[in-house]
Amino acid sequence: MSTKIVMLMRKPPYATVYPAEGFRAMMGMAVFEVPLCVVFLDDGVYTLAKGQDPTGIDMKPLSAGFAALPDSGVTEFYVHDQSLAERGLVPDDLVMPVTVASAAEIEKVLAGATAVLPF
Amino acid sequence: MKFAVMVLDGPYQHQAADTALQFIRAARARGHEMVGVFLFADGVGNAQKFINPPGERNISQMFEEVAAAGVPVVACTACAKFRGLKPDLKTEHITLSGLGSLAGFVRTSDRFITFGD
Repeated sequence: MSTKIVMLMRKPPYATVYPAEGFRAMMGMAVFEVPLCVVFLDDGVYTLAKGQDPTGIDMKPLSAGFAALPDSGVTEFYVHDQSLAERGLVPDDLVMPVTVASAAEIEKVLAGATAVLPF
Repeated sequence: MKFAVMVLDGPYQHQAADTALQFIRAARARGHEMVGVFLFADGVGNAQKFINPPGERNISQMFEEVAAAGVPVVACTACAKFRGLKPDLKTEHITLSGLGSLAGFVRTSDRFITFGD
């Protein structure tokens, strides 16, 4: 099976370092042309929410970096539909176009991966 | 089978580093190849050579033994900088390197396993 990595983003953007490190890992692997896609679910969907301004907690917004990932060759983004709905979000609330996917569809994406890296 | 491991947690606070070590030992004991161990985020804390827990298992020494046995154990350079882990503070055989190493481990392993939350 050819390599296909899924980056699984489940955590809110600023409570821990994981979303930022996940982003850095994506950039690093993209540079080395590792094929990967990104799945956002649970509080991870907030990472893509528009209007982030974390300057009050002395952080930089993560959303701009994710929106720029296609420039680095990362073009597949899946967002769990129920996670969005539970948080009162719709695709227009996100900073970039994504594929909104059901749990069953995300399950297929995960099943097709050679590795899943959770952040 | 070829395994690679990523550790996201440091020593002692959580079980992740211990579980990773036990997994590495068990896999190697069964004849599997460990193509690499990547210490990422707080995981770089497992590389500190001055860890000296009175009367307890020494986690950095255990990772050092894995590295000395020929398994590449790599601590993320940038994460080390964020945490003040200068090169002379790490154990002898653990190396500092960038995300290229992570990419390499992902590419060359049949199973890539993450330990840590």
